Amino acid sequence: MADVAWIESVLSGAVQAGTVYLLASLGEVYAERSGILNLGLEGMMILGVAVSFIFTNALGHGAALLVTMLVGGLIALILAFMAVSLRLNQIVVGLALTLFGLGLSGFITSAEIRKGILLSLNPNLSEAALVTQQAPKLPNIAIPVLSDIPLIGEPLFNQNILVYLSYILAIVMWFVLFRTRFGLSLRSVGENPAMADAMGVNVYLMRYIATVIGGMLGALAGAYLFIGYQPFWQEGMTQGRGFISLALVILATWSPLRAILGAYLFGGVEVLQFRLQLLGVGAQTPQFLLMLPYLVTIATLTLLSFEGVKKRIGVPAALATPYSRE
Amino acid sequence: MRSAIPLIRVQRRLEVPRRVSAAVSAFFILLSFAAAALIFELMGVSSVATFGVIASVFTNPNLLLQAILRGLPIGLAALGLSIAFRMNFWNIGAEGQLYMGMFAATGVVLLHEYQGLIAEPLVIVFMVLASFVAGGLYCALSAALKAKMGVNEVLTTLMLNYIAILFVDFLVYGPWRDPKGFNFPLSIQFPDYARLGFVLGSPSYEGLAMLLVVAFLVYGLMRHTTLGFEMRVVGESPEVAKHAGISYAKALIIGGFISGGLAGIAGFSVVSGIIGRLRPRASPGYGYTAIIVAFLALLNPWLIIPASIFFGGLIVAGDLIQASLKLPFAAVQIFQSIIFLFIIAGEFMKRYRIIVSWR
Repeated sequence: MADVAWIESVLSGAVQAGTVYLLASLGEVYAERSGILNLGLEGMMILGVAVSFIFTNALGHGAALLVTMLVGGLIALILAFMAVSLRLNQIVVGLALTLFGLGLSGFITSAEIRKGILLSLNPNLSEAALVTQQAPKLPNIAIPVLSDIPLIGEPLFNQNILVYLSYILAIVMWFVLFRTRFGLSLRSVGENPAMADAMGVNVYLMRYIATVIGGMLGALAGAYLFIGYQPFWQEGMTQGRGFISLALVILATWSPLRAILGAYLFGGVEVLQFRLQLLGVGAQTPQFLLMLPYLVTIATLTLLSFEGVKKRIGVPAALATPYSRE
Repeated sequence: MRSAIPLIRVQRRLEVPRRVSAAVSAFFILLSFAAAALIFELMGVSSVATFGVIASVFTNPNLLLQAILRGLPIGLAALGLSIAFRMNFWNIGAEGQLYMGMFAATGVVLLHEYQGLIAEPLVIVFMVLASFVAGGLYCALSAALKAKMGVNEVLTTLMLNYIAILFVDFLVYGPWRDPKGFNFPLSIQFPDYARLGFVLGSPSYEGLAMLLVVAFLVYGLMRHTTLGFEMRVVGESPEVAKHAGISYAKALIIGGFISGGLAGIAGFSVVSGIIGRLRPRASPGYGYTAIIVAFLALLNPWLIIPASIFFGGLIVAGDLIQASLKLPFAAVQIFQSIIFLFIIAGEFMKRYRIIVSWR
C-alpha cells in the first residue's frame, strides 16, 4: 500500500508542477496558431507571479487573479501592436518584453516599492503583511466520488481551482480551435493570412485576440506558480518555465489536448528532480538535477527535428511572419 | 473638400538614408527616456533624481572609467552577437556563453595555481584563449543543431543559458570553492598576473584597448574576408548562398563559434577585470544587455563601443541608486528594456514613411 501512496504523490506532484506549463502553453498554442510567436511569455509569467503576490496580500485571491490576467493581456497588447500592426521582428519584440517583465517584476516586489503599492491598495494591512515574502496558498478542493478513484483520483481531482480550470480550458480551447468557425478563422490566419483575408477574415483582429489570450494565460500560469504551487517570492522564480512552454507547444503539435501530456511530462521531470534530492542524490550539489528540465527541453527539440517527425507535426506556415496587404 | 478626419497612410521606404536612420534612433532613444521617467513617477520614484544619478556617471571621470569597465563584457558579447545576427542566427545565449568563458578563464588560473605548468605572464593569454574556445564551442553546439537538423536556435541557446549558470554554481559551491574562504561559494582570489590591468595599471584602459582591437577584428572579418562575405550572404538568403556554392552549415557553425567565443572572452573580462574571482551569478545579465547594445548599434562594430559604455554606465548608475535612492537594481533593467522596445519600434519608422493627408 505504501507504493500506491508513493505513486499517487508523484503523480499529484507532476500535475501540480505541470499546470504552470499547461496554462502557459494553452495560451501560446492560440498565439502560434494565429502566426504569433510570443517570446515574451517568460516576462508575462514572471509579471503574473509578482502581481499575484502583491494583490493576493492586499485584496485576496480573486482580485489577484483578475488583475494578473489584465496585466498579462496588456503586455500582450504591446506585443500584438508591435508584431502585428508595426510588423516588427517577433523574436526581438518578445525578448524585449521578457526583459521588461523581469525588470518590472523585480522593481514592484522590492521592499520599499512593494510596501507603497500594498498600502495604496489596502491601507489597513498589518505590518506583517507588508513585509512578508509569501502569500496564502489556494486551498485544495476534493471533488466527491472522482477523488476516490484509486491511483489517479487523488492526483487529478484533489487539487486547487486553477488546476481544474486548466482541464476545462484545455477541452474548451481544443473544441473552439477545431470545431468552430472562430477556430477555423484563427488557424487560417496562421496558415495562409492572404487567403484568410480574401475570405473576409480580419487577420489583424484575429492575431490581436490570440496574442492577448496567450498573454492572459501566460500571466495566469505565473499566478498559479505562486498562489497555487510555490507561494514564496524569489526574484526571477519562473526560471525559464515560460521559454520551456514555448518548446512544449511544438511537442504538443499546436493542439490544446496534447499540451496536457507534454505539460505533465515536464511537471514529472520537475518532481523527479525533487524526489531524487530527497533520496540524497546530489544532496551537496543539486545543480545537475536542476539542469534536467533544460536538458530535457533541448533533447525534445532535437528529437522533434528529425526528418520523419518534422514532416508530421506541421508548424503553422505563417508563424512569426508579419502580414501586410501590400 | 477637407474632411475632419485625416487620412493616414504608411508607405514603405525603398531605401533608408543614414540621416533618417540616425535621426529616428536619436528620437526614439529620447522617447524611451520619457517613457522610463513616466514609469518611475507612476511608482512614486523621482525621475529627476534617477536621471541625475545616471548623468553623474558620465560626467565624473572615475565613474566613467567604471562605466567603461562594466561596458567591457557587454561590448565584447555584443560584438559576437553582431556576427550571429548578421547571419540571421538568433543567438540569445550570450549570457550562457559568457558563463562558460568565466568557467574556462578561472580554470586556467586554478590549474596554474595548483599545477604551475606555464610562465606567469602567459597565464592571461591562456585565459583569453580558453574562454574563447569554451564560449565558442557552447554556441557552436546550437549552431550545429540548427545547421544539421533545423533545431530552433532561440530556444536551445536560451536553455543553455540556464544550464551554464547552474554549472558555474556547481563549481563554486563544490570543487572550486576556496578552501580558506570560510565556506562562502567563491573561488580563490585571482593573483595579480591573472587580473586585467596588470600591464597598463587600470583594467578600464586595458579593457578599452581590448574592445577596440576586437571591434577592428570583427569589422575586418565581416568586411574584408571570404568567410565574412559568406556569413553575410547566408544571413541575407540561405538560398542564394546555396547557389553560390557556400556551405550553409560551415558558415553557420564557424560564425556561431566566433560569436560565442567573443561572449566567452566577455566572461573572461568579468572574472579577470571586474570581480577578480569566480562567484555564482557573477553576471547581472551582461549577455542579455549585449543583445540590446547590438541592436542599438545597428550591428555596426564601431558603434557597439559607445553603446556598450552607455549601458555599462547604466549598470554603474544602478549600483549608485541602490545605495543613494534606495531603489532596486531592477530600475535599471526596466530602463534598459524600455530603450530596447523603443529602438525596435524605431525600426518601423525607418522602414515606413507615414503620410497624413487632409482630403
